[in-house]
Amino acid sequence: MIGLGRLPGWLALAGVLIVAAGFTAPGHAQQNDPGDEPGLIANDDYELPPELRKQMVFFRTSEPPGTIIVQTSERYLYLVQGNNRALRYGIGVGRDGFQWQGLLKISRKAEWPDWTPPPEMIQRQPYLPRFMAGGPGNPLGARAMYLGSTVYRIHGTNRPDTIGTAISSGCFRLVNADVMDLYDRVPVGTKVVVRQKPEL
Amino acid sequence: MFKRTFLTGLSIGLVVAAAIAAAAITYERYDTKTLKRTIRRDAVLCGVNRGLPGFSTPDDKGNWSGFDVDFCRAVAAAIFDDPNKVKFVPLDASERFKELQSRKVDILSRNSTWSMSRETNYDLYFPAVAYYDGEGFMVPASRKIDSGLELDGSKVCVQNGTTTQLNLADYFRANNMKYQEVKFDKLDDVVNAYKAGTCDTFTADISQLYALRQTFDKSGAVHVILPDVISKEPLAPVVRQRDDDWMMIVKWTLYAMINAEELGITSQNIDQALKSKKPDVMRLVGTEGAFGEDLGLSKDWAARIIRHVGNYGEVYDRNVGKLGIPRGLNQLWSAGGIQYAPPIR
Repeated sequence: MIGLGRLPGWLALAGVLIVAAGFTAPGHAQQNDPGDEPGLIANDDYELPPELRKQMVFFRTSEPPGTIIVQTSERYLYLVQGNNRALRYGIGVGRDGFQWQGLLKISRKAEWPDWTPPPEMIQRQPYLPRFMAGGPGNPLGARAMYLGSTVYRIHGTNRPDTIGTAISSGCFRLVNADVMDLYDRVPVGTKVVVRQKPEL
Repeated sequence: MFKRTFLTGLSIGLVVAAAIAAAAITYERYDTKTLKRTIRRDAVLCGVNRGLPGFSTPDDKGNWSGFDVDFCRAVAAAIFDDPNKVKFVPLDASERFKELQSRKVDILSRNSTWSMSRETNYDLYFPAVAYYDGEGFMVPASRKIDSGLELDGSKVCVQNGTTTQLNLADYFRANNMKYQEVKFDKLDDVVNAYKAGTCDTFTADISQLYALRQTFDKSGAVHVILPDVISKEPLAPVVRQRDDDWMMIVKWTLYAMINAEELGITSQNIDQALKSKKPDVMRLVGTEGAFGEDLGLSKDWAARIIRHVGNYGEVYDRNVGKLGIPRGLNQLWSAGGIQYAPPIR
């Protein structure tokens, strides 16, 4: 749940209302999203646990170097390097019901992106702002890479403590240092393969 | 007359004695009743390492945990529906294969590398690879290199008289690189020399590098382990030859765990999996077909393993993943590694 002490007053009030609504009527439409805290300034001193830090790993794939592979159930994003290796980043992924798979391409890149939550997200989380200018308090963080024409992005975050969890609305979030590193390595047009755990 | 009768009697006696001896030897070498004896004993006899972080360690109350330990628990779950029906027997490296041969244990699950001579010399069988280990390199993170091919001209710390040392020589020669060997007889001395900065890099099996790094760089921020794997150390459970029924149970226990991960079945969602209508899920959990019965077990043998012990990935994460060892080669074939199980059908 949200630590209320860290929130601006109006948001804390909204949060309480949403949490209350969540208890009476559970379901996606009413669910609180603890991963979005517009206005919270990212704590850049936050240290990821070792297994979620960026590192070069052994990775066998038939995808060419430069491809991004997201393995949602593992909470990792791989940037294929060739020669059986990949740069691996720890990520936060979509919560249950907000996970998807397929092949997309990076269609646009932006630094300190503005945030316009899509209508379906506003409907689920009415307390969210309709528009928020880019900056350190923006939930999209330092960089965003837009995926095809979908509402999904690979982006930074102002909540580094949510890396390794499944709470987003389908986007993939990295800590700001990692997303800046990735941003400089991949051009527009980069292939992004998203994989899911199989359904039972 | 007497002489001839005596000789006849003697030769009959000798033949009988030889037959009994032969039968005894056959019994000794070709034991085919391991499952039966296991069930009568009400416990799997499992040979493990006395203490190897991530693979096999006892706590102060004598409870065992680790990757190798969990494998024996999985076999017990398949047979008894109870992962605790295992008797763990700590074994030293030197005698482990003889102790398996002499039936001190029925499964050796003790970080043993599968090689041809170990099967042929000891009449043993390694049913399937549980963990792909291999030799790798540790370097200070400050060097900012991420490939073994950047190690040309390095001073390399290595344990003397090991296959590690031979693989090192092969790797540098094959890649046209020069190195200076800094060797010690004891692993501790190798580690200390590396820590003291005597060498540019330190080589050992990758699982060992991670376990050792825990002892002097817990966060893993100061020293990195390169992703290169320069040798083959396939660690596998071991059983005696010629008890095929037992070998099949051991082999398919591992494959059931790997298939479960590939199909997305975990200890958390096993009840949901038992209601699944997907044919490959149904065959694994036993709601379609009777594959477990063909092994001499019950239909739900694999569901028992998954419920009590978990799938391959769960067992990996809980034990070796905790040391910070990335899945690497041990990731599923469909997700970047080479772990691959034949289908259950």
